[in-house]
Amino acid sequence: MAQVEKKAGLLRKSSASKKPLKEKVVLMYDEIFAKDDPAKNNPRFWEELFLMRVNLEYLEGKLESLDGDDLMKIKDNVNSLFHHCIQALGEEHQIKVVNALQTLCALLWGVHQKNKSTSGFDIINMLMGFDKAELRMKDLMESLDTLLCGEGSESLKSLCLKLLLCLVTVTDNISQNSILEYVMINSIFEAILQILSTDPSRRQHGYDAVVLLALLVNYRKYESVNPYIVKLSIIDDETTLNGMGLVLSQALSEYNRQYRDKEEENQGGFFSAITNMVGSMFISDADEKISVQTNEAVLLALYEAVHLNRNFITVLAQSHPEIGMMSTPTTPVPTTPTTPSSMDVMNSAELPLDPNLQTSNLLITFLKYSSIVMQDTKDEHRLNSAKLCLIILSCIAEDQYANSFLHDDNMNFRVNLHRMPMRHRKKAADKNIPSRPLACAVLDLMVEFIVTHMMKEFPMDLYMRCVQVVHKLICYQKKCRVRLHYTWRELWSALINLLKFLMSNETTLLSKYNIFQLALQVVNLFNMFITYGDTFLPTPNSYDELYYEIVRMHQVFDNLYCMVLRLSTNTGQWKEAASKVTHALVNVRAIINHFNPKIESYAAVNHISQLSEDQVLEVVRSNYDTLTLKLQDGLDQYERYSEQPKEAAFFKELVRSISLNVRKNVSLNTLSQDFLLKEFSSIS
Amino acid sequence: MGDADVDQAPAASEADLHESSADSDKGLHTEGNCLGVISEGTCELVIDPDVALKACQEVLEKVKMMHTGHMDIHDELVNGETCDTHKTEKSNASAPSKIREEEEPLPGSCNTVKNVRRRQKNNSAKQSWLLRLFESKLFDISMAISYLYNSKEPGVQAYIGNRLFSFRNEEVDFYLPQLLNMYIHMDEDVGDAIKPYIVHRCRQSINFSLQCAWLLGAYSSDMHISTQRHSRGTKLRKVILSDELKPAQRKKDLPPIAPAPELGLSPSKRTHQRSKSDATVSISLSNNLKRTASNPKVENQDEELSSSTESLDKAFCSPVRLAPQREFIKSLMGIGKRLATLPTKEQKTQRLISELSLLNHKLPARVWLPTAGFDHHVVRVPHTQAVVLNSKDKAPYLIYVEVLECENFETSNVPVRIPETRIRSTRSVENLPECGITHEQRASSFTTVPNYDNDDEAWSVDDIGELQVELPEVHTNSCDNISQFSVDSITSQESKEPVFIAAGDIRRRLSEQLAHTPTTFRRDPEDPSAVALKEPWQEKVRRIREGSPYGHLPNWRLLSVIVKCGDDLRQELLAFQVLKQLLAIWEQERVPLWIKPYKILVISSDSGMIEPVVNAVSIHQVKKQSQLSLLDYFLQEHGNYTTEAFLTAQRNFVQSCAGYCLVCYLLQVKDRHNGNILLDAEGHIIHIDFGFILSSSPRNLGFETSAFKLTSEFVDVMGGLDGDMFNYFKMLMLQGLIAARKHMEKVVQIVEIMQQGSQLPCFHGSSTIRNLKERFHMNMTEEQLQMLVDQMVDGSMRSITTKLYDGFQYLTNGIM
Repeated sequence: MAQVEKKAGLLRKSSASKKPLKEKVVLMYDEIFAKDDPAKNNPRFWEELFLMRVNLEYLEGKLESLDGDDLMKIKDNVNSLFHHCIQALGEEHQIKVVNALQTLCALLWGVHQKNKSTSGFDIINMLMGFDKAELRMKDLMESLDTLLCGEGSESLKSLCLKLLLCLVTVTDNISQNSILEYVMINSIFEAILQILSTDPSRRQHGYDAVVLLALLVNYRKYESVNPYIVKLSIIDDETTLNGMGLVLSQALSEYNRQYRDKEEENQGGFFSAITNMVGSMFISDADEKISVQTNEAVLLALYEAVHLNRNFITVLAQSHPEIGMMSTPTTPVPTTPTTPSSMDVMNSAELPLDPNLQTSNLLITFLKYSSIVMQDTKDEHRLNSAKLCLIILSCIAEDQYANSFLHDDNMNFRVNLHRMPMRHRKKAADKNIPSRPLACAVLDLMVEFIVTHMMKEFPMDLYMRCVQVVHKLICYQKKCRVRLHYTWRELWSALINLLKFLMSNETTLLSKYNIFQLALQVVNLFNMFITYGDTFLPTPNSYDELYYEIVRMHQVFDNLYCMVLRLSTNTGQWKEAASKVTHALVNVRAIINHFNPKIESYAAVNHISQLSEDQVLEVVRSNYDTLTLKLQDGLDQYERYSEQPKEAAFFKELVRSISLNVRKNVSLNTLSQDFLLKEFSSIS
Repeated sequence: MGDADVDQAPAASEADLHESSADSDKGLHTEGNCLGVISEGTCELVIDPDVALKACQEVLEKVKMMHTGHMDIHDELVNGETCDTHKTEKSNASAPSKIREEEEPLPGSCNTVKNVRRRQKNNSAKQSWLLRLFESKLFDISMAISYLYNSKEPGVQAYIGNRLFSFRNEEVDFYLPQLLNMYIHMDEDVGDAIKPYIVHRCRQSINFSLQCAWLLGAYSSDMHISTQRHSRGTKLRKVILSDELKPAQRKKDLPPIAPAPELGLSPSKRTHQRSKSDATVSISLSNNLKRTASNPKVENQDEELSSSTESLDKAFCSPVRLAPQREFIKSLMGIGKRLATLPTKEQKTQRLISELSLLNHKLPARVWLPTAGFDHHVVRVPHTQAVVLNSKDKAPYLIYVEVLECENFETSNVPVRIPETRIRSTRSVENLPECGITHEQRASSFTTVPNYDNDDEAWSVDDIGELQVELPEVHTNSCDNISQFSVDSITSQESKEPVFIAAGDIRRRLSEQLAHTPTTFRRDPEDPSAVALKEPWQEKVRRIREGSPYGHLPNWRLLSVIVKCGDDLRQELLAFQVLKQLLAIWEQERVPLWIKPYKILVISSDSGMIEPVVNAVSIHQVKKQSQLSLLDYFLQEHGNYTTEAFLTAQRNFVQSCAGYCLVCYLLQVKDRHNGNILLDAEGHIIHIDFGFILSSSPRNLGFETSAFKLTSEFVDVMGGLDGDMFNYFKMLMLQGLIAARKHMEKVVQIVEIMQQGSQLPCFHGSSTIRNLKERFHMNMTEEQLQMLVDQMVDGSMRSITTKLYDGFQYLTNGIM
């Protein structure tokens, strides 16, 4: 017994100090782990077993203590247990169903725990036997499907989802989990959808359902045809998609809320100034870490939805009040029994009446979330989160429909992005943010990222993605002639500062990255403004300001040109990359070379040492006509985002870390079954 | 009993003779053959003409019998007149009967009916003048309503109740508020006369059912709460809303008794009924009996409905006949209520958009806008186009609604939902005025690297399918400017031949393109509706159509509606009816006055919908946005004084101004500040907001004492006091007033009936109707009328109070 307790891994919690009595159920477990058929002496053995309260610790401990060979010896009994568990799922007696579900969890977990190195097929053999496996799993999945879609108790459904999550996460690498092959064949996709599309079940199980779906989609994603991917990509039922969106946005806004509370708390304290400067609010807080990780699962789900399903894009703009329904589960929308079921949707659509609630949507929540996550990218989880955020933004920025509402002049919102506290700037007055199209908020977020991450641990990859998002938005604006009233100047100066940073850290950065790729992107953004500015700039003045900004910061471009010229004439590894930048700089240099003498002569003629902005703009305006620019190729083209092969490794790692995390939470949760038993004792 | 009839006689016949004189010469040369045909001819449109006819005849018999009893008095009093009426009747009767004979052979049953009737007619040699009037072609819906209202005789009321079946639905629909108000507030007999018709129509149409239910609710609201609960109106409303009045099943359509025996039986029923009514027993039993007598079909159904076979009925019909539409309206009203709680316009607008986007999820559905003139299903609300209108404490809002026209919204299939994302390939580039290529071309210039994951292929197939369906024809011409894709492709094809471009050109194009954008109003968060309303309707329709996934469907239409929550629209409805009546009168009398009655839907005593006037902005918005005088604005919008466009706009202005001056005078429309007067794209003015009419006026220290609002600015647009157009204006007013006077009864009747049981402020005091009648100046000669018009125009123009009122509005509400 003592040995068992020591080994009982994750599932041990409260009873360590308690002296365990030999319960009836434990005796029965012992019978199973004996070699004889337990039903031989007692034909009602299995029936009785599931009437007994499950002792998960004991069962798991027992299983973990056995290695593959030991297990093979009692294979028949384990097979039998598995088989009867599945049979019990069809029982009317709910207590049996509950016990069977929990037993299954323990069985799956226990067998895997000890046999991590064992191949998936052996595990299947141990649990079900090769010959029966297909049938057993079919029965299991069908039973789970029935339970999930049925009218049964919500806790039961929750347990079903826990079992599924347990099944999906028993291995660290989801793709090595061979049992999932049967989950692919016997799809529970429809059950997941149903949970997401109906209101009460969505509120209680939406999160688990969404995480489960995200994980299932990642099973052997790149190797085989995953039916969940196919199915997810073609859903067009808006209630379901919207349900999914609600779940995601609730999870994200919950995180945002926690963060805001934390921030306020910290600001109240006397050490607030210091913590603010460090900018890492709760990096040491264990609780927060968990919430960061769980949100990775949510982000993954959001990513899969945005990436795979084009209809999901509409959900991004679907409005809902800032605080989601999750926080108000105590006030379910009353549905009068007289109204027909089709009308229920109509009723539930009514938003709660609270003037203080700001209208929001998934996209806004996601942008806020991103602004928090992107603040600090030192932690690996956060770096991954930030990367995923930027990937999602890339997908959004490529989508025509998403762009159409991002740039919709009639859809204005105030988006309070979180800004990193920095020494040299004041905390922006949040309240004065004007209501603008959402594209402005995306651009703000990108600008914010650009100015705040010029650090020694340079997140090159994130910068590339960030600049690409800006590029994609501008391509859309150019293509559709959308004149966004945005203060482009902020973007320009952020980009110029980025170039400056790249050059001043040339040596350190060059040892790790190809900085010319990024530099080329940035210069080409300027080329977009210079040669296509007429199609998307809001005013003629903004075009003048562009020139002003370039001329004002000409030194940066001069230095960049010197550097790339130097490297492209050398026969080094950067020759080609650098020479591309050289060519891209043609127009910028033309502008500088054209206007600088003009400005100098203007100053000389008028005897002014320092020209004011207006004077420079005046010079710019009156000297356009003698300037000739060169049109460059493919400025408005970009490579569309594709997951494979570039991002495959990233997602593999991400899914692995999510799996670990989900497994931890699931096993913790299944143990806390007291409330469950309370409920079912009253049912049975 | 007879006395009552006699009282009615002179007035009625006088009015009718007056009217008929205009038409009588048409039919003089032919001889009327059978009077009975008239009612048959007109009742063709009703679903069950035979039943209705039979019922009518029964009552006619009844009326005749009543009259024969008192014939002596009749003869003495109306001897001379009856002859005249008879003659005109005959001559008019010939027209419809002839048409009818040409169109189709008379069914056998009708012939027998006719024969019977002829015989009966011969039997009773002396015809009642009233009956003849009722049977004459001149007897229109307006007269029917008038008799229904004025007659105290249950027989007459019952007869008219049945005659309602023979009018066209649209004709009766116009008087629906009157009918229902009588049903609610007048005595049992009127109610019983009306009910069968209402029930019949409710069975036919969901729309009618809902209109009735809403109006019944609204007009019952002035009753005391305790009586209201038990009133007829509330009961009928409940019956309608409980959806018991479903379309009748086929089996019930069979008349219980064959026509001939029915006629034979009727006398006994008649006497039975009469004795009851004579005894003035008003218990429900007698009601039932009376109804049985008057309209067996309806009664039968009533009985069946109340019987226990109800569940069977429900099995046959959809249980949610009315529910979707009610829910739709309810959610629109709910939005309005919630918006009212938000403090700023910006928040309201945002909330409105988000609420509507949720509403969109439930569409398409079997819902429709009752203000539209055709059958349709609502498929989408372009939520980003909705605007909150200017109002101090309420939150009326304007939504645009995409609908698909259909044969019949009750039976046609509800359109299939098309996801929003489908628009991406159909959205064309037309909204970018300066370039002529489609998005597809742009997309092709916009080469992307096709790079599908393995798993992406699953839906890339789906993509292709969609594109094939939705791709509009791709134009091959490319007239794009140099900075666009032509250059891109040139450079990529003829490699390394550098293309140069002048920076000055880019800058120039930028300023040119910005200058080219059409004159729109500035976006003002405090007045979001100004921009939306200024946009020409056709342009808006095109723009929304492009952005809609349903836009490619040929039966796609755009409608708009103002949702008002917290406002009583009953007065607006009354004003709409009066305006509509006046318009009809002026049309009939060929007076070129222009007014624009806009449709009103009363949903309850504090909510409703208004059909917006398209292409119109308020004069306040015009002046605020343009900072010009009205005349200068006309010059800016339509061209110089001598241009055709300006002259047309000016004429439109004068005609509408004269029309509305008369309306304002007759109805005593107050609160005439510039926010309540619209100017449309053709130069017409349109008065809106009839919240203060007749006996009510805003408590504003006696401003607006003049007859109507006529500012010098208006006169300037007309070309000044000495101009021809100003004289034309006064002449139009005179003609309009003369025409209106001629048909005064038709106008007064609308108002008078609605006064019944009403607590509306416009009926405050006891002299509302008398004053209204006085404003028609029946006793004046035309010369006197002309003087009156001149006086009123002079008075209004000089009116210091109008100017003061505008100043007052400017100070208090910021209305220019």
